[in-house]
Amino acid sequence: MPKVDDLTLEKELREIIAKIVEIEPEKITQDASFVEDLGMDSMMALEILAAMEKKYKIQVPEEKLGQIKNLKEVIKLTKEYL
Amino acid sequence: MIDTEEIKSLIPQRFPFLMLDRVTELKEGEYIKAYKNVSINEEYFKGHFPEAPTFPGAFIAEAMAQAACVLLKKSIKDLAATKFYVTSVKIRFFRIVVPGDQLQIFIKTVKMTRLGGVFEVEASVDKTVVAKGDMTFACK
Repeated sequence: MPKVDDLTLEKELREIIAKIVEIEPEKITQDASFVEDLGMDSMMALEILAAMEKKYKIQVPEEKLGQIKNLKEVIKLTKEYL
Repeated sequence: MIDTEEIKSLIPQRFPFLMLDRVTELKEGEYIKAYKNVSINEEYFKGHFPEAPTFPGAFIAEAMAQAACVLLKKSIKDLAATKFYVTSVKIRFFRIVVPGDQLQIFIKTVKMTRLGGVFEVEASVDKTVVAKGDMTFACK
């Protein structure tokens, strides 16, 4: 997988999350809490993890699910495995 | 091959809601192939629909979910969960399924964990895809 620049990564991840959580991408700020602000549940977190893996052809361990709590953390997690 | 008795030992669904007759192929953690024979003897055809018996799309989705449960149970051996709840289903249906059809189910794992799984799901009859989509379910 070729390296993705930071802006593209953020845009792509925001779109992935928006599609799963079914909200407008603009509402997903870097720090908006997925659970408290966006109404996400644990299975949506699993779907986000699966979508990240599929899009970037990476493998993220199940234990990292807890890190899927806001966009900033998702970007950090993705970069860790790219 | 996994027969109905073994399927029953893996998932909690029973008559009249066991939607798999046989598993023909399974690769742990990756995919499963199974089928359901659709028979005119099934009770719900009296109402769905009286003049044109049609296998309900919701039951196609259920058959897919049950196959995914079998795959999960066979892949994670010590999984304590006994109940499975669908949390997301996005399926497009392309053609109707009628009595006499053999519904072939193919499930591919996208992500599988002890909490649940994300799967790509597909059903076909005579090698023609009748339904296709994505499904997520939780284990309890």
